[in-house]
Amino acid sequence: MSDAIQIERLHYRAGKTFEIKDLDLHVPAGSIYGFLGPNGSGKTTTIRLILGLLRPLSGRITVLGDPMPEQHARVLARVGYVPEQPHLDATLTVGELIDFQSAFYPRWDQARANELVRSFELDDDQLFGRLSKGQKAKLMILLALSQRGELLLLDEPTDGLDPVVRRDILSALLTYVSERGSTIFISSHLVHELERVCDWVAVMDDGRLILEAPLEKLKQGTKRLVVMDAPAEIINPPFRVLTRESANGGSAGENWVVGDWEPGMTSYFEGVGASVRDVIDLDLEDGFVELLRSFRDVKGGVRR
Amino acid sequence: MFHGIDPRSPIPLYVQIAERVRLAIATGTLGSAAPLPSVRQLAAELRVNPATITQAYRDLEAQGFVEIRHGAGTFVRELAPGRRARERSQQAAVLVRKLLAEARRSGVSLQELQRALETELGVKTT
Repeated sequence: MSDAIQIERLHYRAGKTFEIKDLDLHVPAGSIYGFLGPNGSGKTTTIRLILGLLRPLSGRITVLGDPMPEQHARVLARVGYVPEQPHLDATLTVGELIDFQSAFYPRWDQARANELVRSFELDDDQLFGRLSKGQKAKLMILLALSQRGELLLLDEPTDGLDPVVRRDILSALLTYVSERGSTIFISSHLVHELERVCDWVAVMDDGRLILEAPLEKLKQGTKRLVVMDAPAEIINPPFRVLTRESANGGSAGENWVVGDWEPGMTSYFEGVGASVRDVIDLDLEDGFVELLRSFRDVKGGVRR
Repeated sequence: MFHGIDPRSPIPLYVQIAERVRLAIATGTLGSAAPLPSVRQLAAELRVNPATITQAYRDLEAQGFVEIRHGAGTFVRELAPGRRARERSQQAAVLVRKLLAEARRSGVSLQELQRALETELGVKTT
């Protein structure tokens, strides 16, 4: 399967403090790709780089087969983008904004626009400036979907919206994907929402990519272990140790969080004179938090 | 039919969805030739990736429970006599395994479990 977005060894710097280092991303065509990370981790900057709105210091960005930012006109005609902050003219009505946007896109789908105005319960005659936050978000999604993009880039599309609006937006997106098979790239810190829909996830922190993996692999491979009699040093384990700390001051063994775990790996502990009392499943949010924690510990030099 | 699908569970969503359909077939909620919801409809309703629904339906087809007719939809197949009953006993075994695992984790003994079962049912089980 080819990649809708491919980023290799990307380096970008803004000012003295913020930089994106050695970023590699591969977004498979047809996937729903969740781009996770805390606020300020570089998600929006990465999206702006993908769209050619920022210029990298070095590295390569390929979107739908074309290099960016060199081919931005060709690429942007096939990409729908929903920015974090809606930036439409507040003095135009919903209907005027739809007409305005449709003029830029030769493949504009007016039937879908009409259908979404109806299902999102938007009013053609209302001024954009008078819309609620949820209505603005719905209109942004409507505009992006009606462009018939092969790739949708959504920057925190449901952040700060009420659950009813979030549901309506997600359902519209999923209907679009089932009909057109497009690729969707969603940045979010709402982990639970992505857990339902994504087939791939990437995690950013502090301008760097910590992980990129199929969602099921990440979920199946991240576990909390209760380990008894664990030696202080462990050498070449077949899994990744994300965190370890003693439970109840040591009397109840140690709690470990591990990545890349597979069912038969408890035997590793028997080999080093320890035993695993329990293997507990983690959901995506727990796994995400533990990943960030271990990444920051290593970075801060606190090795355990 | 799809009530209580849990995206946070370690059991992949497509497995959970296929399980629900199998249960509905086993209990007769879905009879022979009954149509399943379209991929598009179910993805929007459950707010899950359409690829997840497609995977669940393909698995059900491979197991012989449904037939995917391209362009028409997905339909429950005519099942051999006894298959629904066998499927129900398998579902019962799954439920019991879940119960036993939960009991073990929380330190409830087999005897205590049996007593609770008898109290709930109002009958002796042995």
